[in-house]
Amino acid sequence: MPESVAAVPFIVLAALAVGGAAMVILSRNVVHAAFWLLEVMMAVAGLFMLLSAGFLALVQMMVYAGAVSVLVLFTVMLTLRRREDAERPLDLSWSAGLIALGVFVAVGAAVVSFVPPAVMAPVRTPGVTEFGTQLFTQRALPFEIASVVLLIALVGAVWWAGGEDR
Amino acid sequence: MASWTLIVPEGLLLAGALVALFAEVLFPGGRRAGAWSGAAFAALAAAVSIAAGSGAALFGGQFAVDPATQVARTATLLLTSAFLVWLGGAGLERERVREFAALVLFASLGALLMAAARDWIVLLLALEAATMPAYVLMGFDRGDDRSLEGALKYFLLSMVASLLFLYGMSFVIGMSGSTLLAASRLQPGAVGVVAAAFVFAGLLAKLSAAPFQWWSPDAYAGAPAAAVAFVSSVPKIAGLFAFARVVAVLAPQTAATGPLLAAAAVASMLIGNLAAYPQTDVRRLMAYSGVAHAGYLLVGLATGTVAGTQAAVFYAIAYAVPSMGVMLVAAQYGATLDALRGLASRRPWVAWATALMLVSLVGVPPLAGFTGKLYLFTAAMRSGWVWLAVIAVVMSAVSAGFYLRIMRAMFFGTDESGEAPIAGSPASAAVVVACALAVIVVGVASSPLLAAITFAK
Repeated sequence: MPESVAAVPFIVLAALAVGGAAMVILSRNVVHAAFWLLEVMMAVAGLFMLLSAGFLALVQMMVYAGAVSVLVLFTVMLTLRRREDAERPLDLSWSAGLIALGVFVAVGAAVVSFVPPAVMAPVRTPGVTEFGTQLFTQRALPFEIASVVLLIALVGAVWWAGGEDR
Repeated sequence: MASWTLIVPEGLLLAGALVALFAEVLFPGGRRAGAWSGAAFAALAAAVSIAAGSGAALFGGQFAVDPATQVARTATLLLTSAFLVWLGGAGLERERVREFAALVLFASLGALLMAAARDWIVLLLALEAATMPAYVLMGFDRGDDRSLEGALKYFLLSMVASLLFLYGMSFVIGMSGSTLLAASRLQPGAVGVVAAAFVFAGLLAKLSAAPFQWWSPDAYAGAPAAAVAFVSSVPKIAGLFAFARVVAVLAPQTAATGPLLAAAAVASMLIGNLAAYPQTDVRRLMAYSGVAHAGYLLVGLATGTVAGTQAAVFYAIAYAVPSMGVMLVAAQYGATLDALRGLASRRPWVAWATALMLVSLVGVPPLAGFTGKLYLFTAAMRSGWVWLAVIAVVMSAVSAGFYLRIMRAMFFGTDESGEAPIAGSPASAAVVVACALAVIVVGVASSPLLAAITFAK
């Protein structure tokens, strides 16, 4: 397949991701912003597919597009009493823009100057089986720490959500 | 001893946290049983940490304890245990203790893992495990809007810091093709500088160093003083230690490290010491003092030498002990300067111990603060950062002013409130006095401790 044809899906997905991200900031309605966020997450899942990272694409769809965006919508639903509360003023401050521009320039310079090391690319894309084996053998320590982190989050959430002393 | 004993302290802390959560069921009638059992578990973990020594790497090199790590871990555990003894003695003003004790143990567990992490992913997760309990501790007064506001600010900034760190880390892993810290390779050019800058920015924010310091006074002033006592001191030892590890790996590969860290050091020292002056709330004052001390620590890291790193780890311990002690006094006897008026006549032992710790924070010989600063500033002079050392010395002298204000309130102020003196428990007063004694011991016996902080290569 010629380069130019292979680039088409990438360009489409990248445009969807960047445009959606801009719409998250620009849309006045919080609920609309949440749906644009969902669109960004799905576009990123597509980008993972292009990189043959099937498992990551699946996780992106299930965890981010599936769970996180529903969580965002639930939060919006539970915290807003009236329909009008979902509207917010468009707050575009210069300082935030400057910081964003600075980060863009820095990361852009980094990406442009990055030279991919030749030896690293594996012959075959590792699949879900290899990923799982790695996770439960070599990566057992970080995996266990992650579960402790989740336990901490649970204890904290229960504390804050709890009512008077029982 | 078998090498797996190295990770036993983590297991004990996890067990302690779970026991603390169910303490009221396990020990019926003991309202503060969670704190007491947690203190016992932490003390046991400290003993195991001393006995296990240092040794081979575990988990394929992702976790290792060298002599310096052992010192940092043992200090963290001893301080955790002391804090929980204090909590068992003094309790909290309105809230129950058991979740507090459990979260303190979780944070300590994260700190231990952070000190021993030799892998980027383990480091990131340990950092999260150490800071996530801190969000809840800072907002532990769940009925108080100011406490929750401070906790929210802390949470948001800390999350941004984590993301910066994660982003920089992903660049480093991409360049080196391995997640092990020791295998990190930075490419020359913009990508190496940007990756290092993101990693450092994340760690600076976690250390509450400038220019990421603005959250800490608000968060500390809203939080329960007991939470500030723990969050502002104990996890910083391991945080600084992990920072030192990362600097040791990245500094030789990019020339930007020294100037970046030196700039952050100067900004932290200036902002911290000057902004502390007008404060009347001890929590705000100690927040700015914490920013200033982060600046001194960065002086050591900016040198990029082994002596500077050793001195920074030593000073992190020499700072954590009195910082925790002073905040514990504030937690028990009142968090404003007015509330501390006349403490010397009501609680002479506590007042004298506090005075000693404040003097150590200024840096008066022969206390721990003095020897720590001496090591730091000599390391800076020897590696050519003379101007940085000069600023640090001047700013230490400036800091005497605001610490003395606390002392003046304790010794020369008279209690005008007419309220009955607050009852102090023997255990909590003993912890404060023990902190003061530790300041003397660390100061006098500084050379063996500094010699113990050796890094395995």
